[in-house]
Amino acid sequence: MLGILASIIDGVLVGLVYGLAAMGLTLIWGVMDVVNLSHGPVIVAGMFGLYLLTSALGISPYLALPPVLIGGFFAGVLLYWIAVHRMVGKPPLMSLLSTFAVNLVLVGLGTAVWGTALFNVEVSVPGVSLGRYTFPGPHIVASLMAALIAYALYFFLHHSRTGKAVRAVANNREAAELVGIPTTRVLALTVGCSLAIACVSGMLIGTLFPFTVLSGDSYLLKSFVVTVLGGFGNPLGALFAGVALGVLEGAVAPFVPISWTLVIEFGLFVLALIAFPGGLFSLRRGAL
Amino acid sequence: MSETLLKVEGLEAGYGEVQVLWGVSLAAVRGHLTAIVGANGAGKTTTLRAIAGTIAPWRGRILFEGDDVTRLSTHEKAERGFALVPEGRQLFTTMTVAENLELGAFPKRAARAYAERLDQVFTLFPRLAERQRQLAGTLSGGEQQMVAIARGLMSNPDILIIDEMSLGLAPVLVYQLFQTLKKLKDVGLTILLVEQNVHLALAVSDYAYVIAEGKLFTEGRPAELSAMPEIRRAYLGL
Ligand SMILES: Nc1ncnc2c1ncn2[C@@H]1O[C@H](COP(=O)(O)OP(=O)(O)OP(=O)(O)O)[C@@H](O)[C@H]1O
Ligand SMILES: [Mg+2]
Repeated sequence: MLGILASIIDGVLVGLVYGLAAMGLTLIWGVMDVVNLSHGPVIVAGMFGLYLLTSALGISPYLALPPVLIGGFFAGVLLYWIAVHRMVGKPPLMSLLSTFAVNLVLVGLGTAVWGTALFNVEVSVPGVSLGRYTFPGPHIVASLMAALIAYALYFFLHHSRTGKAVRAVANNREAAELVGIPTTRVLALTVGCSLAIACVSGMLIGTLFPFTVLSGDSYLLKSFVVTVLGGFGNPLGALFAGVALGVLEGAVAPFVPISWTLVIEFGLFVLALIAFPGGLFSLRRGAL
Repeated sequence: MSETLLKVEGLEAGYGEVQVLWGVSLAAVRGHLTAIVGANGAGKTTTLRAIAGTIAPWRGRILFEGDDVTRLSTHEKAERGFALVPEGRQLFTTMTVAENLELGAFPKRAARAYAERLDQVFTLFPRLAERQRQLAGTLSGGEQQMVAIARGLMSNPDILIIDEMSLGLAPVLVYQLFQTLKKLKDVGLTILLVEQNVHLALAVSDYAYVIAEGKLFTEGRPAELSAMPEIRRAYLGL
């Protein structure tokens, strides 16, 4: 019994990181109706950012966060101008194709450089014991950082002038232009924030699990599940749904082989999509 | 004394392949209320869109305080002092009334007098002060129109451009809103107004333009226009 409770708590910890990863995806969707299919390799870029910074500079893994965040932001602005700018407001297939093309290029580059070998970053943080069970230190730190960044994003969107401009563009782009908001710049900034968040979530995942160049797909899929459960385009809903996904993984882990978790996740995903087409955690539509 | 603030010369514009405006010229004098009237589909909204920059003019020029602003983007024009209250209001429906007003003051030119502006807007529309925390999309039609006008005023504009202010509103409210416009004009605001209700437009404006099929049909002072037989027949139903 205590074992299940413990795996549920651990699920919450890991789920917060999944939720953060999905917030990046859902932010772009919510603001410009674009599904960023290069989200997976971007998460992996965060993992390799962590790997390179720790192995080359020998710094503590958590010190990799600021450079990964900033690097992700600029990569996002670049991605906007390369693959998103001309697709905004066009049929969704166009941005799906352009971001998928970026996905293929990134994965191709990654495999050319690193192959498909498994990488692992050593993180030594003491765990916290609760009775017989010990919660791994990296899980605790990663979840705290994910929660902090999620909160920072929420605070930015709701309490800063620029964040309110982002929400205004999401709500009505033409009206946003009319009140003097440079909406193109806001879109570029949004993609920048989205990728910064995705890279950081990748970096945090890298402190929890080993990874390869090809890990991106499964995290893209997890982000999809979370985005849909969380109600499209709603960052806070994505965070809650991420926790739900983590709890689900934690709860089934003791009973089924690890290879079955994805099957169960996507089975429930399809069911949820049928039962709650608007998302499970959508507080209100377009809550961004 | 009558200095032209906004001048539109030979404006042509349209959507895709379809040309809607075929050379519209008009001027808005500083401190005056200028009206544009015309039948449904005449091109009034298209004219305002081309002026505000939400669609790109094909030909012609737009001069503001003597500068050519034809190619400026919409947000740059907002920074220059344009405020368009668009047809259908276009509020930020998922945001609160307070946030809508705050976003109205997004241009840097509005930052200085923000608190003053907010006071002024709440004096004009006391109803909005009570509704600050409510989501704009859940307001009544009349209240939404108040937010739209208030949001336009928050930018501290030189010219307030309003499309179909009276559409769908109760006569009492329309009357109140026109009283409000009068007050704003009296403190020096320039207003360019598109209005369905020609009686009303001619009653409140200093000068009016009549647009038909994308061209200027005629123009003049309200008294002159309402004396013209073709205007009386086609627009005033007399
Ligand atoms: N987005 C659009 N795409 C294509 N055609 C359009 C578009 N908007 C307007 N039109 C066409 O342009 C013409 C002028 O429309 P506009 O909206 O300027 O008329 P209006 O004078 O404002 O009419 P109303 O009094 O009904 O508001 C109409 O024939 C309309 O069908
Ligand atoms: Mg119109």
